[in-house]
Amino acid sequence: MQTEPYTKLYLSEHYGNEAFRTLAGYEAAGGFQGLRAALARDPEEVTELVKSSGLRGRGGAGFNAGLKWSFMPKGDERMKVLVCNGDESEPGSFKDRMIMQQGPFQILEGLLIAAWATGARRSYIYIRGEYQYPIQCVRKAVAEMYDKGYLGRDVFGEPGFEHDIVVHSGAGAYICGEETGLLESLEGKKGQPRKKPPFPAQHGAFGLPTTVNNIETFAHVPYILSRGVEWFRGFGTEKSPGTTLFGVSGHVERPGLFELPLGTPLREVIAKAGGVRNNRALKAVIPGGMSMPVLTPSDLDVPMAEEFLSERGTHLGTGGVMVMDDTTCMARVACVISYFFRDESCGQCTQCREGTGWIHKLCERIEAGRGRPRDLELLESVPALMEGHTICAFADAAAWPIKGLLRHFRSDFECHISEGSCPFPESFEL
Amino acid sequence: MAQITIDGETYEVGDGLTILEALDQLGVLMNEVELPHYCWHPKLSVDGSCRLCQVEIEGVPKLQIACNTPVRDGMVIHTKSERVEQARRGVMELLLLNHPLDCPICDQAGECKLQDYAFDYGVKHARTDLPRRPAKKGFELGPTIVFDQERCILCRRCVRFCREVSQTGELGVFQRGERSLLETFPGAELDNPYSMNVADICPVGALTTKDFRFKVRVWFLDDVPSICNQCGRGCNINASRSNNRVYRFVPRRNDAVNQTWICDHGRMSYKGLTEGRCTEARVGSRRVNYDEAVSTAGDRLRSAIDAKRPIVVVASPFASNEDLFVLQRLIGDLGCEPGTFAIERGDSDALLIRADKCPNAEGARALGFLESDAAVGEAAIALVLGRVAPERLVNVETQVQLVSHEADISVSADVVLPVRSHAEYLGSFTNFERRAQRFSPFLEPCFEAWSFGDALTEIARAAKVLGWEQPFDVIRVSRELAQAVPAFAGLDLESLPAEGAPLR
Amino acid sequence: MKPETRKKIDELFRHYPERRGALLPAIYLVQEEFGYVGPEAARELAEIFEIAPVAVWEVLTFYNMFYTEPQGRHHVYVCTNLPCSLRGARPLIRCLEERLGVHAGETTADGRITLGHEECLGSCGTAPVMRVDGVYHENLDLERALAIVDQLD
Repeated sequence: MQTEPYTKLYLSEHYGNEAFRTLAGYEAAGGFQGLRAALARDPEEVTELVKSSGLRGRGGAGFNAGLKWSFMPKGDERMKVLVCNGDESEPGSFKDRMIMQQGPFQILEGLLIAAWATGARRSYIYIRGEYQYPIQCVRKAVAEMYDKGYLGRDVFGEPGFEHDIVVHSGAGAYICGEETGLLESLEGKKGQPRKKPPFPAQHGAFGLPTTVNNIETFAHVPYILSRGVEWFRGFGTEKSPGTTLFGVSGHVERPGLFELPLGTPLREVIAKAGGVRNNRALKAVIPGGMSMPVLTPSDLDVPMAEEFLSERGTHLGTGGVMVMDDTTCMARVACVISYFFRDESCGQCTQCREGTGWIHKLCERIEAGRGRPRDLELLESVPALMEGHTICAFADAAAWPIKGLLRHFRSDFECHISEGSCPFPESFEL
Repeated sequence: MAQITIDGETYEVGDGLTILEALDQLGVLMNEVELPHYCWHPKLSVDGSCRLCQVEIEGVPKLQIACNTPVRDGMVIHTKSERVEQARRGVMELLLLNHPLDCPICDQAGECKLQDYAFDYGVKHARTDLPRRPAKKGFELGPTIVFDQERCILCRRCVRFCREVSQTGELGVFQRGERSLLETFPGAELDNPYSMNVADICPVGALTTKDFRFKVRVWFLDDVPSICNQCGRGCNINASRSNNRVYRFVPRRNDAVNQTWICDHGRMSYKGLTEGRCTEARVGSRRVNYDEAVSTAGDRLRSAIDAKRPIVVVASPFASNEDLFVLQRLIGDLGCEPGTFAIERGDSDALLIRADKCPNAEGARALGFLESDAAVGEAAIALVLGRVAPERLVNVETQVQLVSHEADISVSADVVLPVRSHAEYLGSFTNFERRAQRFSPFLEPCFEAWSFGDALTEIARAAKVLGWEQPFDVIRVSRELAQAVPAFAGLDLESLPAEGAPLR
Repeated sequence: MKPETRKKIDELFRHYPERRGALLPAIYLVQEEFGYVGPEAARELAEIFEIAPVAVWEVLTFYNMFYTEPQGRHHVYVCTNLPCSLRGARPLIRCLEERLGVHAGETTADGRITLGHEECLGSCGTAPVMRVDGVYHENLDLERALAIVDQLD
């Protein structure tokens, strides 16, 4: 992994600087000013402030973070819990990994601010099991915080402010990125998302009031407190303020992470990554991680913020931008995508368990040149059976990309069926 | 209370219930309100995964599952809208994707919810020619249950049953996604005293009992409501019979008694209804016809009455309330000592199984019989209902015994009259919580045998006991019982509701 | 199970309001000791956690990173998700299959290596990626991939 993004703004300003990964270096770079600013305010005020900053969750759903905090019950005797979602498993997303490796204290500071705001006594940082090194980085940071007396009792000298942080490793299941799947997993169960109600704020981890936010979401929080809402809103769009770490992958010259304001046009994001590789023409872009419907070259001017992407029938998701050039066979892409969702469905809901398998088998057959004309109709209608009908959004995530690929690249599929072979000799291999 | 409207009909329902719970409590689910479901079961926790019970709620953009949506006052629900029906057809099609369409060779056919709903909602198969997911066929999960994995729709009712009800936790769903499989822990078996309930709650033909599997097509069976007589619980059952043969017992829901469950022992007790029966009347070692046995018993009784010699009665906690009422009246008319009865005791648990291994100990108590296993006093004749320990009758000269099974015949019996099992006559039992419950005949013995009440009445008639001129009529007797014994007021067989009623 | 493993498991409990929260970390510890968690170890865990063995087995089989059967001495996983596939992951894994004489998902006959494909590892900017005994090797080409695998004893 890179040690720093190719373009940096506030969040990744110090990434690549080894010292920033230590407590002393973090403090020297202005760390914990956000927390100190928060401690000078009433908890409710801090929540209000984060709410008014317009900070949207960076895990995919884009929900207002402060608003989410405000759902935590007040005057409830039960211990309150924060969960930091570091399960980053959305294909095309690798930003949280960098934050954990390069800015672990940003996450911890964000957690402490949220703890102050919500009255949470304990945080769990749930990190996907494959992220062995990021887990080490965050564990080391937490240990340094304890050594310095920054965690436990009287956090930062604030009498009565107690907080503990536990780093918890996942074990290889995409669905644990879904917040209630994560909570089940944290409780030592299969990571099968929970039906709602009840919602996590009332009945979350271990039945306790819980707020779950993404790694990057927490990492932005200190800057809102230390530099102010107005400053924060100076980045990004009205509805999507701040920056994000766009992860560009696929057929570009310089894949990697780029910290850019939300709302940066897609064209510019791709340009930062050196444009399409080998001077090939662009064929398709998945803008926000693999669950999101695909965009085409005609969409290049779309500002990369949820409010604009949703107008185009897709979403910002995790900001994982996957670029595909004109050698790419979209039937193959559908095969890879549908395999993933078939593999990762938790298996609870009928539509998802059965539908993901069906879609993949259809894609496989079409790609292999054994498809039948009716298979395309089915490939259109099976996602419709799944979408919006399940406990969590996984089925939607499995349905959307297939729908998007068919909408824009139907001829790729038709060709496989009518010719019995792939029309793209230079396409990536399966 | 909340008022909800479903398909234009308004219902008053309790607060805090889910839509399905509310409909279930009102008793309208699947009759007035057709809201199909697989994973939801009234006695198990909510799973919410089959997604079949989705409904449209006004003001809520997405369809919601009725099993997990709490009712709200003023809620307007649609179960028949195009969106709902489309979603339902979607679930059905996806469930049929990997489910074999071989109903003609599936034992569940005829009582399969997948078959029923596929028919009801017009989805006969999935639009696919892809091969189905391979799965294990017909393997034994344990001593009682056979599993056809390919038929499993992963509703997890059985998993929840084993966790929440039997609390034995043998079953789980392993792997994930499309590879998900219901199984036991490697090398372990599904083996608990309630194991066969999983076959009842399995909505498809995945779990079947070894005992019933492939014995008979269910459409040849008719169900007669009855009561299990294996312990004091009195679990409500349906006896499924065809051509005067019973093929199985299945639990009949009674929330006040057995919920929707029955223990395996009780379920299998149907076998004892026909095995080892006492089929012939006897006088001494001589087989006689029924009338002769009755008249012999009557003569001996008459002699004892005439000689003013003591007569004793041993009652049975397997006899019905009506039988015991008749017996009690006879005791009064004969002026003998109070009747006694003995109880055999065994294992018990916190769920259903009671230690008292008889169905009507409370009925016997309520009717004035005393529990005792002591020897009866010196007597010229003893009228014995059912099994008795021989040492209790050492002081008795003539022993008239009314039994249903050979094994119950006492070595010292002088006159033996075969009687009907509770499967063969109408009556009621009073369970351990003093709840009177009616049972109906579902078999006709292929030999001559009368109910206890009938046989007792005939003996009394033969003995010309005053006031015993009329033949036995269980309906009349039950009315007399209801009038004569305050505890049974209003609980005659015709008034007793299907779910039974507590004694007064 | 070694007493040290058991002791480490006991130390985990204090981090969770309910004992069961420590199940995933405990499975990791047992797996560290045995290389996998078979039925016997699963039963032992079930006893420690006071849950049904079947509940442990459900968890073991749900997650990719838990193994219920013995694995090779080394674990080699290649990401074959879209960003890696776009940058040549599939020929790479085929090449490794050939070199090792196994299919993805299998272990070499000498028990040296278990080869597998994996879903997105979060290394899309440095694709293709291979995870060898927990360590990421990024920006791979065939030559480097083979060299890395050949080095494993």
